[in-house]
Amino acid sequence: MSIIRPRLSDFHNIPITQEEVDFAIPFIDEDIPLYVDPFLLWKSPSMQDNSLHLSITNSFNQLGYLVASGKEKEALDIIIRASECDEVGLGNSKTKAGKRIGEKLALKILNQFTSIPQIGKNGFIHFEEIQLLVDNFSKDRVSDIACNFIQSFLVDYTIEQSEKYGIPIEKVKLTNLYNSKTNTFGEEETHLPINPDTKAPIIFTPKRWLKHIPWINTDDYFNSYYIKNIYKEGDEIPDKIKLLNFNRQNYDMVQAYTAIKEKQIENCKNDPLFNQIPITSAKRKISTITKLPTGKTGNADRKFEDNVCQLMTSLVYPHLDFAQEQSRTESGVQIRDLIFYNNKSSDFLKEIYETYNCKQIVMELKNVKEVQQSHILQLNRYLKEQFGGFGIIIARNPVPKKVTKNIIDLWSAHRKCILVLDDSDLKMMTQVFESKQRDPIEVIKMKYIEFTRACPS
Amino acid sequence: MTEEDVNKFEKVQSQLEGLYKEIGILSKKSPNDAVNKFKLKFINQILIQANSILTDLYLPLDGFESFEEDDLPSNSDVTFIFEQYLNCLEKLRSDNVTQTNIRWYWIIDGEESDIKTSEPKKLKNK
Repeated sequence: MSIIRPRLSDFHNIPITQEEVDFAIPFIDEDIPLYVDPFLLWKSPSMQDNSLHLSITNSFNQLGYLVASGKEKEALDIIIRASECDEVGLGNSKTKAGKRIGEKLALKILNQFTSIPQIGKNGFIHFEEIQLLVDNFSKDRVSDIACNFIQSFLVDYTIEQSEKYGIPIEKVKLTNLYNSKTNTFGEEETHLPINPDTKAPIIFTPKRWLKHIPWINTDDYFNSYYIKNIYKEGDEIPDKIKLLNFNRQNYDMVQAYTAIKEKQIENCKNDPLFNQIPITSAKRKISTITKLPTGKTGNADRKFEDNVCQLMTSLVYPHLDFAQEQSRTESGVQIRDLIFYNNKSSDFLKEIYETYNCKQIVMELKNVKEVQQSHILQLNRYLKEQFGGFGIIIARNPVPKKVTKNIIDLWSAHRKCILVLDDSDLKMMTQVFESKQRDPIEVIKMKYIEFTRACPS
Repeated sequence: MTEEDVNKFEKVQSQLEGLYKEIGILSKKSPNDAVNKFKLKFINQILIQANSILTDLYLPLDGFESFEEDDLPSNSDVTFIFEQYLNCLEKLRSDNVTQTNIRWYWIIDGEESDIKTSEPKKLKNK
């Protein structure tokens, strides 16, 4: 199977949309570009999430206890093992294999328990403050440490969600599972979904815990707290090392910043995996598109493609999850496509999945005055494998009759369906996107029904 | 027409006029916006009842019976069709009313009844 940017659900042919499930659907070849922010667990109205946050904090503070009891080596081993959690697959990695922190960085982290009296005495409430104290401790470490300390819960959560949606699970051996009773890492055999390529176990994370950047982070501390409250005009602006030194020596400042962030919890929200553009922006885009000339004058083709890409991905959400935008070259001509996962989330999408074997929907963008037969043939050549026999051309004007005949002939000869959307269809989709009277995807369904009516019976 | 037909006619005509007014307001604001499924369901119910009254020559448009949900009819599509139906209903009424003195009455089973009605619009608008 050659699905573009495959997700675990696509591999198993499980028709779920990202919108309807509680967890972030993992990609097979790459990580999900988000991170677990422990602050979201702390602020959650759910007592379960709060307890998990407490468990993370306790496990982290246990390191301080170990250091104070002279068991530094044990603490060092735990923090190093906790620093990478490949099973959850979060971050920006394209390879899905991360590296643990080195001993040097681990020691720097543990030193905070001895060098800062408040931490040595009371421990952390938000361990992500480490980002403000230690260099090279990044957001992915915060996420991975949090995930490792509650991995046992995440395993149960993954099994529950897998059973709910029929995702196959297999017997796996987890070699880095944290036990919060003994505060040690160990091995355990369990059942989890596996990556079909690498055979590595996969753990799901709830969408409500994910953010691009943690709520407590160095940039925000510097811009919204340090510059406003500590920095005096005329002072030298500290570089990151100096800033971290200052923070270590003035931990009460970090505590004050954290207290402010705690008070601003209403603004702390998880980041969705896909953001729909607002209605005003959609209206602006359709207005830009319809005013653009056809052809390449003044980069009109590029502007058309950029605007349609942003507009269309929002219009068809949540019925179609956007996979990716890609360029291909055919006969020396560069063609830009939008690729969507077909999750059979409506009767129309189910029909094209079953009738045309369409697992992913391709939309080809054409800023041409008139759609020609060659454009239909270009897309036709591309309609194989995961796209099955269904594709969409987004053009500017209604299709000439002779080309419509070509499209019908293609269906008659090869049972392939090509729909052509023009400016008026995009306008209508934007109109219903605004008014919410119908779903924009129903405009595509309408075009499909028009097409089926035109086909010989 | 029978007395039952007249009752049915008056109900359907008033419902159509009510919807025509409502959708007309939406149509002026956004003529190309699609009508939602909830409204469309009731619009079609009333059109089907109107079809049962407007038989043969009175049917406004050949081949049209109701809106297809999947065709995404717009507000202006609905007002256009309603206008045709209201005109044809009025034509049917004009052909089945009579005047005595200054008042207008329905003709039921070929004879003048005591059910009052208004003057045909084509006379009113003269």
